[in-house]
Amino acid sequence: MLRRLTRRNFLNLTALAAGAPIFELKPLRGIDFVLQNSPTPRKFLIETMPGGVALFDYNNDGLLDIFLVNGGRITEALRVPENFARSDPRYWNRLYRQNRDGSFTDVTQAAGLANAGNGNYGMGVAVGDYDNDGYPDLYVTNYGRNILYHNNGDGTFTDVTAKAGVAAGGWSVSAGFLDYDNDGHLDLFVTRYMDWDADHNKICGGDWRTYCPPGAFPATTSVLYRNRGDGTFEDVSERAGITAKKQRALGVAFADYDGDGFTDIFVSNDGMQQFLFRNNGDGTFTECALESGAGLTADGKGLSGMGTVFQDYDNDGRPDVLVTVLPRENYTLFHNDGGGLFSYQSLESGLGALTSLSSGWGVGLEDFDNDGWKDLFVAQSHVLDNVQQIDASLRYKDVPLLALNNHGRFERADSGVTTPWAARGAAFGDINNDGWMDVVVSTLGGPPALLLNRRGSGSHWLSITLRGTRSNRDGYGARVSVNAQTRFATSAGSYVCANDRRLHFGLGTADRATVEILWPSGARQVLKDVRADQFLEAREPERS
Amino acid sequence: MIRLFLLLWLAGQSGASDALQHVQAGLEARKLHQVDMEIAEFRKATEIDPNLADAFANLGAAYMEKHDYSSAIAPLRRALELSPDLPVAHQLIGYALLAQGYAAEAIPHLHKVGAQEALGIAQIETGQLSEAVDNLSAVLAQRPGDPDLLYYLGHSSGLLSKNAIDTLLATHPDSARAHQALAENYLVLRQMPQAEKEYKEALRLRPELPGLHLELGQVYANAGQWPKAEEEFRAEAKLQPGSAEAAYRLGGALLQEGKAHEALPELRRSNDLKPDMPETLYSLGKAASLDGDVATAEKAWLRLTELEKNTSLAAQAHFGLAALYRKQGKTAQAQHEMQEFQKLQSTIAAPRSEQ
Repeated sequence: MLRRLTRRNFLNLTALAAGAPIFELKPLRGIDFVLQNSPTPRKFLIETMPGGVALFDYNNDGLLDIFLVNGGRITEALRVPENFARSDPRYWNRLYRQNRDGSFTDVTQAAGLANAGNGNYGMGVAVGDYDNDGYPDLYVTNYGRNILYHNNGDGTFTDVTAKAGVAAGGWSVSAGFLDYDNDGHLDLFVTRYMDWDADHNKICGGDWRTYCPPGAFPATTSVLYRNRGDGTFEDVSERAGITAKKQRALGVAFADYDGDGFTDIFVSNDGMQQFLFRNNGDGTFTECALESGAGLTADGKGLSGMGTVFQDYDNDGRPDVLVTVLPRENYTLFHNDGGGLFSYQSLESGLGALTSLSSGWGVGLEDFDNDGWKDLFVAQSHVLDNVQQIDASLRYKDVPLLALNNHGRFERADSGVTTPWAARGAAFGDINNDGWMDVVVSTLGGPPALLLNRRGSGSHWLSITLRGTRSNRDGYGARVSVNAQTRFATSAGSYVCANDRRLHFGLGTADRATVEILWPSGARQVLKDVRADQFLEAREPERS
Repeated sequence: MIRLFLLLWLAGQSGASDALQHVQAGLEARKLHQVDMEIAEFRKATEIDPNLADAFANLGAAYMEKHDYSSAIAPLRRALELSPDLPVAHQLIGYALLAQGYAAEAIPHLHKVGAQEALGIAQIETGQLSEAVDNLSAVLAQRPGDPDLLYYLGHSSGLLSKNAIDTLLATHPDSARAHQALAENYLVLRQMPQAEKEYKEALRLRPELPGLHLELGQVYANAGQWPKAEEEFRAEAKLQPGSAEAAYRLGGALLQEGKAHEALPELRRSNDLKPDMPETLYSLGKAASLDGDVATAEKAWLRLTELEKNTSLAAQAHFGLAALYRKQGKTAQAQHEMQEFQKLQSTIAAPRSEQ
């Protein structure tokens, strides 16, 4: 069958001919962070799971800064109560402020973010302006107690966890801010993995000595905190129906999948069914993944769900779900068919052929080549550091997967990374404000990696920052359409990471755009004839 | 069985002599499970009449009862010297010799009485693998499912196979079959690059050999190289248009690549060539469902659920049917199939990738 030579195909062909990768691996100047996961022969499962990356502009200077979550020190002698030596600067989380020249300065101590607590082994991070003061706040998840850092607006943060009541406890992994009740205040969802502690650790694999699968440990529940609007939160997990089913939750992503105006929650669970919490609009949720077709593979099998993203990959206006998993499962794409139903479309989308032996963590659907279609990036690595000895066809370290979206079908592309990593988190954002999406990846035992977009030519873009007035100030939960593409405003998604909250749209050859925003408040806003290639702030109308 | 035979046989041989009285006393002791007494009585009988074959045979049998195979061998040999056709003595000495590791010596005795199971085991020891497989297969036909027999048959077949392959590698190391054999070993060990290399060499030498493309395709499938797997399966299907497996594998690879429309005819063909294979029916339903051929999908999966009741494939078919009906708005049917799926899931071990 003859295939029409579209502009996209032409661009692909020329890129292929030139052998040009999409990204360039750039040193993060001024960043000396090493993710200390501290692997031991005792194979404590927490060692395999950190660490988060947040791309956010904490000082509102227009440049993305980077916050990196560290693990902690673990020794073979680890026992309850665990101490991870987080007071030692080697194990601190770190905040790096971006300078005008693209370099970074470590401002951790000055910002009040040093020492995340000796009993806390770091996992992930969420970003949101929970008090609507115009400065993004940080929520750090831990095995231990989570920490909410309030951004004081003067370059410093204050630990307000106790006052806010959001410590959670147990083993938290990913988290995200959302406004589930549309009251204008950001609420908080925290995934928790399992009931585990050092005294109840297990080693699996016989002579191979491997980390145990999640089924070896008891499942637990995730947490939903409702923001009271006064700087405090209320744990509504049980009342809202979040704890109705036990989970082994790692990733979380938000979108309004059924178009009812309320943000729904997708949770990627490890070694079991995935969860889709449909927002009933009355403060409660119904877990409906199975009956919606987003719980299991087409073969009715559970998934080793790790990272997840909830965005519209095929430009039909409805958010789809993508889940990263372990080898021989295929990265899972649940296509939103409308009417509240999903269908498993890993095979049709090309992911079956691309990912049958892949093991993925952080994941993003972003338009890396600005052609108007969201592409796929996955930070990859197996869980087991000795997997190759067990199965010679698998690898522990891997290069990231970059797959360009050709009208709904993913095709492998050159990421520009040739050295395999034990990658975990992947945060997405336009680091250098050039209109092309970049990626920062966290790697176990190593420094973070910046994949700077090399930029194509001839394609336009638009970056939109939402400024809620009646809705939450970040505009999380808004549905934004630009020239028939749709994004759901959130900084959550991926795995243990927080993405640039600016909404990036590739426009292809179009140098003008029509922007339609459906705010969480219900306000609908249309901006016509918007010039391309700009960072646009869209302010929610005060009155409808 | 042996014991009963021995008693009947000895009953016919009993006489009035002193020696026979001790034999009789020995038989009485046997009834009372007094093995040491038994041995003493039979030994006395052999001392009184060193030419009484019955006494020696019984003495050997008593030692066998005591699992003292070493002591059993001498009196049984003597019994056979005196009465060379004594079946029970042949049988017992065959067992005793085998138990002591003298398989080659045991074989003529076991052969004489047609003790096929023991004979088969002895033949494994002596490397007469083909004969061992024949004998063990014959006994298994009479006692299907016997775990010991299944083990020995599997063991002897495996050794036979290994011997044949060793001979092949030693005598024809550069042949296509030798490369194929090596490739199969690498495939089992999941050493895919080595397996690929050997299969390619085998194909270079004999491109027409059936099965090579199929196995090379499996190597690529295991390595996640689906376009290459498709190519090999397609070559096999062309070489062997009557192979249901080649069509099934090709359909599976196409399905994995998201080419449901192309997979569908291959899976249909596989099902036509070898109807009602559950795996084929499942994949056929899946390809049809992805391709929008609802009727074929429903038919294949319903047929599968008729054939299989409590398997993971049956569960998968119910799950597929639930999704199919849900899309069609047939809510009640979808719910029913989902219930069947969940019922089966709770009884079948939950699938979980360990890696």
